Amino acid sequence: MRANTLLAVLGAIAALLLIPPLLSSGSDDDVGDQVRGLRVLVPNAPGGGYDVTARNAAKAIEEADLSRRIEVFNLPGAGGTVGLGRMVNERGNGKLVMSMGLGVVGAVYTNKSPSSLADTTPIAKLIEEPDIVVVSKDSPYQDIGQLLRAWKADPGALPVGGGSRAGGPDHLAPMLMAKAAGLDPRQVNYVPFDGGGELLASVLGGKIAFGVSGIGEYRDQIQAGELRVLAVTSKDRLPGVNAPTLTESGVDVVFTNWRGMVAPPGITESERTRLVTLFTRLTSSAQWQEVLKRNGWTSAFQPGEEFGRFLAAENDRVASTLKELGLV
Amino acid sequence: MGSFASLIDGFGTALTPVNLMYAVIGVLLGTAIGVLPGIGAAMAVALLLPVTYGLDPTGAFIMFAGIYYGSMFGGSTTSILLNTPGETAAVVTAIEGNPMAKRGRGSQALAAAAIGHFVGGVIGTLLLVLLAPTVAKLAVGIGAPDFFAIMLLAFISVTSVLGKSRIRGFASLLIGLAIGLIGLDEMTGQQRLTFGSLHLSDGIDVVIVAVALFAVGESLWVAAHLRRIQAEPIPVGRPWLGREDVRRSWKPWARGPFIGFPFGAIPAGGAEIPTFLSYVTERRLSKNKDEWGKGAIEGVAGPEATASASASGTLTSMLTLGLPTTAVAAVMLAAFQQYGIQPGPLLFERESGLVWGLIASLFIALVLLLVLNLPLAPVWAKLLRIPRPYLYAGILFFASVGAYAVSGDVVDLIVLFVIGLLGLAMRRYGLPVLPAVIGVILGPAAEQQLRRALQISDGQVSGLVNTPMSVIVYVVIVAILAWPLIRRLTRRPVDREKIDA
Amino acid sequence: MSTSTVERKSWLKEYSELGISVVLAALGVLVLVDAIGLPEIPTERGIGPDVVPIVVGSALILVALLLARDVLRGGKGEAEGGEDIDLSAPGDWRTVLLLAAAFLANVVLIGLVGFPISGTVLFWGAAYALGSRDFVRDPLVAAGLSLVTYFVFNDLLGVSLPGGPLMGVL
Repeated sequence: MRANTLLAVLGAIAALLLIPPLLSSGSDDDVGDQVRGLRVLVPNAPGGGYDVTARNAAKAIEEADLSRRIEVFNLPGAGGTVGLGRMVNERGNGKLVMSMGLGVVGAVYTNKSPSSLADTTPIAKLIEEPDIVVVSKDSPYQDIGQLLRAWKADPGALPVGGGSRAGGPDHLAPMLMAKAAGLDPRQVNYVPFDGGGELLASVLGGKIAFGVSGIGEYRDQIQAGELRVLAVTSKDRLPGVNAPTLTESGVDVVFTNWRGMVAPPGITESERTRLVTLFTRLTSSAQWQEVLKRNGWTSAFQPGEEFGRFLAAENDRVASTLKELGLV
Repeated sequence: MGSFASLIDGFGTALTPVNLMYAVIGVLLGTAIGVLPGIGAAMAVALLLPVTYGLDPTGAFIMFAGIYYGSMFGGSTTSILLNTPGETAAVVTAIEGNPMAKRGRGSQALAAAAIGHFVGGVIGTLLLVLLAPTVAKLAVGIGAPDFFAIMLLAFISVTSVLGKSRIRGFASLLIGLAIGLIGLDEMTGQQRLTFGSLHLSDGIDVVIVAVALFAVGESLWVAAHLRRIQAEPIPVGRPWLGREDVRRSWKPWARGPFIGFPFGAIPAGGAEIPTFLSYVTERRLSKNKDEWGKGAIEGVAGPEATASASASGTLTSMLTLGLPTTAVAAVMLAAFQQYGIQPGPLLFERESGLVWGLIASLFIALVLLLVLNLPLAPVWAKLLRIPRPYLYAGILFFASVGAYAVSGDVVDLIVLFVIGLLGLAMRRYGLPVLPAVIGVILGPAAEQQLRRALQISDGQVSGLVNTPMSVIVYVVIVAILAWPLIRRLTRRPVDREKIDA
Repeated sequence: MSTSTVERKSWLKEYSELGISVVLAALGVLVLVDAIGLPEIPTERGIGPDVVPIVVGSALILVALLLARDVLRGGKGEAEGGEDIDLSAPGDWRTVLLLAAAFLANVVLIGLVGFPISGTVLFWGAAYALGSRDFVRDPLVAAGLSLVTYFVFNDLLGVSLPGGPLMGVL
C-alpha cells in the first residue's frame, strides 16, 4: 500500500513537471532577424483597444513571415499600469513588448503608479486616431464657432462627455481644447462615461452639450446624419468628414489618441534594434496596410528614439494638464 | 411586414449546411468555454475571435451568435452545480439554483435554466425583430436621472432579501456597499480604499465577490460543520421537470424577458440589475415563500429567462446603434470592425443579408442549445455524486482557477480568500450573504448615476427629477413606501366598526 | 482557574457575535478615514468622491451599534444550515485551518513552482482536509485535474498559466 502511494505521488510529480513543458515544444532560438517566441503584453482586457492592436499586429507579423510564434497575453488592471509594472520588472527581457497608448500615460498619474513609461524602452508608435467634437443632429450648435462662444460664456452649463475616466484621452482632449480657447480647464464640466458606447448614447440622446471622442464607433452615425461633427483635433482634416480642424477654427491645439509598443528597460542594443526593425518592417508590409484599412486606423509610424522623444513630450503635456486641474 | 420577409430570407442563409455547421460548432465551443471557471461570455467571444478568422463574415457571425448564447448557457451550469458563477449574469441564479442542486434537484434546476434561457432568448430575439428601431430610439432617451431613480427602486426591493433579522441584513448590505467603494473614482481619478495598491484600483469584480462569498465562504463553513456520518451521495432524483415544476416556472419564464430585454438595450444596462429585479419580483409573487433560499425553482427560471433576453436587448442596441452596452457587445463590435462592417443605423440597409442571417441564426442557436442542454442536465447533475471531499476541493480549485486565470495575479486569490473568510464569519453569525453581493452590484452603479446626473445639471438638485421617466419611477417608489400606511388607514374604519359592534 | 475567568470566558463565548459589531465598526471607521483623506478637487460639481463613502461609513458604525445592542439584549444570528452542514456538532476549526492552508499553499506556490503543481496541492490538500484518505487515487485525480486545466487554458485558449520550473529547460 505504501509502495503504491509512493508510486502514485512520484508518477503525479513526474507528470506535473514534464507534461507542461512538452506541450509547448518548439525552439525559441532566433533565426536570422526573426524574434522567435516574442510575447506581447496587453495591459487591458481582451477586446479592448490595445488588445485589438496587439492581436492584429501579431497576426500581420506572422502572415508577412517577419517572425513566428508570437504570443499575445493580457494583464489588465489600473488603466494599464499593472501591465506597465510588469514590464519594468522584466528588466533585460528582449523578447517582450507591451501594446500601449496615450491612456497609459495619464493612468500612470491617476493611479499614482510607481513605474512610469520613462522606465521602458520605446520601440515604435504605430497608429493614431484623431478625436472629434461631436453633437447630435438636434443640437443648437451648427458650427464650432457657435459652440465655443456658448462654452466660453457659461462653461458649467455645457457638460462635455468623454469615453474615458479622468486622466484618459477623452478627458484630456476637452481640457487642452479649453486651454487653447482661453478657458480655465477647471471650469470645464467634464462627464466621464464607460467607453465610447455609453457616450454615444448620451450624445444621441442630447444628454450632454457635446462629446469629444475617437471617431471609431461614430463613423456610421455621422454618415447617417444622426451626429454632426463640429471639428476634428488632428493636424489635417479627415477624409470623408466634413469638419474643420481645431487649428483652422482658431483653437491652437493638435491632439490625437495614439498607440504603440514599448519594451522592458535594460535590454541590449542589439535586442532593441531587432525589435525596432521588426516593427518597422511590419508597418511597411501589405498585411499591415490591410489591417489599417479594415480598422479605419491612421498610420503614425515613429521608430525607437523618435517615439521616445514624442513619448516624453506627451508625458509633459499630460502631467501639466492634470496638475493644473488639481487631479495629481 | 418587411421584417418578417427579411427574416425568412435570413433563415434561408442560416440554414445552409455550411452555416448550420458553424452554428453547431459555435454553440458547442460556447457551452464548453462558458462552463470553464472565470470565463464569461465576453472572454469566450474574445478568445474565440481568432477561430473565426478566415471564415466569410456571415459564417463568422453565425458562429459568434452560437458562442455568445452558448457561453451564457454554460455560465449558469457552474452557478447551479458548484455555486461558482462564471459571469455577472449568472450570479443571481446561484442563489436558488445551488440549493436545488444540493437537494438533489440539480437536473431540474438546469432544465429550468435551459428552458428559461430558451424562452427568454426567443422572446427577446422576437422583440429584436419587431421593435429594433423603436427600442433603439427609446434606449438613447434614458439618461442618468432615470438610471438613478431605477437604482433607488432596486435598493428598496433589497429589503425583501434581507432575511429574518433586518439589522443583520443591513449589515451585510453595507459590507457590500463598502466593498463596492474600492477603486479609482472615475469622475475625479481619486483612489478610494486602495491603500496604494494598483491591483485594487479597478475595484473588486462582482464575480470575484460572489464566488468568494458563495463558494469559498461556503466551503469553509462546510468544513467547520461537515456531516461526518457518511451521508449518501447527493440524490440525482428524477431527471426531468415534474408537472409541479412546470406549473411554478412558466410564469417566471414568461415574465423574465420583459424585465431583461429593456435593460439589455439601454446603455449601462447589462444583466446584473434585471436578473436581480426578476429574482425579487418572483420572490414577492411566489406562493411558496418558505422555500426561498432553500431552492425555489422560480428563482432559477425567472433570472435565467431575464439574462437571456437581456442578451437580445444588448444585440438590439449594438446592431441598430453601434452601441455596445455590455462587455460582450464591445467585443462583438470589435469583431464586426475586423470584417470592415460598422454596426449602426445603416447596417440593416447596407448588410441586410448578413444581419438577417445573424438574427435567424440566433433562433437556430437557441434551438440547438435547448436540444443539447436538456439531455445534458441529468448528466451534469450526476457530477454532484462524487464524494464530498472531492466536490468541495473541486469547488475551491475551480474558484481559484477562475480568479487567477483572468488576471494572472495572486492578488485576486488573496482577495478571494479574505472575502471568503468574511463569508465564513457571516454564515457563522447569521448575516445573509446575498445583500452583500447586491450591494456590490448596485452601489457603484447608483453612485455613478447620481453623480453623473448632478454633474450634467452643473450641481443643481433638479437635475435628478428633470425627466418624465425619473418622476414616474419616484412616484412608484413613494407608492411602494406608502402602501403599508395606506392599507392601515383604509383598514382602520373596519376595525372601529368592530369595536363599536 | 478562578471562577471569574471562567465566567468571563463563557460570557465571551455567549456574546462572541459582538466581534461582528467590532468588525463592522472598524470597517466604518476605515471607510470614513479614507473618505476624509481625499483631496479637494477644484473641478468637482455636484457631489464629490467623498460623499457616498461618508454615508456608507457612518451607516456601518450605526449598524454596528444597533447590532451590539441587539446582541446584548439576547438577540442571536442564526448560523446558516444546509445539506452538508451538521450544526449539532461543535465547530471543527482544525478542518477549516487545513482547508485554508491548502488554499493559501496554492497562492504561495503558483508563482514559484507553476500552476500544475500548486493546483494539485490545492486539490489534494483540500480533499485531505475534508477527510479523503485515499493516498493513491487522491494525488492522481488532483494531478490529472490540474494538467487538464492547464492544457485547456494555456494551450487551447491561450490564457497563460505558469507552467513550472522545467518550462524552457526541456
